[in-house]
Amino acid sequence: MLNEIIFYTFSSILICAALGVILFRNPVYSAVSLILSFITSAFLWFLLESEFLALILILVYVGAVMVLFLFVIMMLNINEQKANSKFNTIAPIALLIGLVILAEMITLIWMKSTQFKETITIIAAPSSENNTLELGKLLFSEYIYPFEIAGFILLLGIIISISLTLRTKKGKKTQIISKQIDIDPSKRVQLVDLERGKN
Amino acid sequence: MITLQSYLTLSAILFAIGIIGIIINRKNIIIILMCSELILLAVNFNFVAFSYFNQDYTGQIFVFFILTVAAAEAAIGLAILVTLYRNNGSIDVQNLTALKE
Repeated sequence: MLNEIIFYTFSSILICAALGVILFRNPVYSAVSLILSFITSAFLWFLLESEFLALILILVYVGAVMVLFLFVIMMLNINEQKANSKFNTIAPIALLIGLVILAEMITLIWMKSTQFKETITIIAAPSSENNTLELGKLLFSEYIYPFEIAGFILLLGIIISISLTLRTKKGKKTQIISKQIDIDPSKRVQLVDLERGKN
Repeated sequence: MITLQSYLTLSAILFAIGIIGIIINRKNIIIILMCSELILLAVNFNFVAFSYFNQDYTGQIFVFFILTVAAAEAAIGLAILVTLYRNNGSIDVQNLTALKE
């Protein structure tokens, strides 16, 4: 009974927060609303016994990605009135499309419910080992190559975002490494023969 | 009892909200990026729910990789946004017609 109360409360909070993301005019409010929806869905993932992913969602998404979003929103000076001038004309069409998608998916989910019930009943007893340990065992044995590729994708993300946003100032005095390496010692040091006693 | 269908319905609602948000706020790239995060959250919800109801950890591994790729995508998207703002002075989608002619 407690699980049902938690599920329905948190999912209604989640839906309200998601609606807030798309309806607020101010992007800062949208970002804060998205943070709320991430935290709420992390609690719902705790209910689904995936503790590691719930914590990762809070740490990575709320702690890193959303803070990045907020930084960018504050860095760019966005005129919020201008951004939403055509808000009302497009809204009915958007609502129609969204409701059609939702109706299709919900029909599919509940029409096939007889097939789902077979899988639902196979809820095994919770394993004695914790969730993080189980995930770690799988991740470092069976899924080690995807794991390495994920690390490479993160490296790619770092390089791309730095090289896109890096801006060198004009007239800034820096070393040019290639010129330093390519230098010929004979051009730098000039040996001059001086006759003794003349100067 | 909370069934798998409840979780799937919740994730379908989240997905539809994300789609509606992309169409409504199509002028503001930041909100479009946030809506794509919302859609990815809905997908992750499906994976976690199936992983729990089938007692199979593969779904959670998949969510782990989706989170990785989504974080990289958000970083690159925001970097593109910053570059765009420097060059154009605005992030209005209507002004992005450099490739038109």
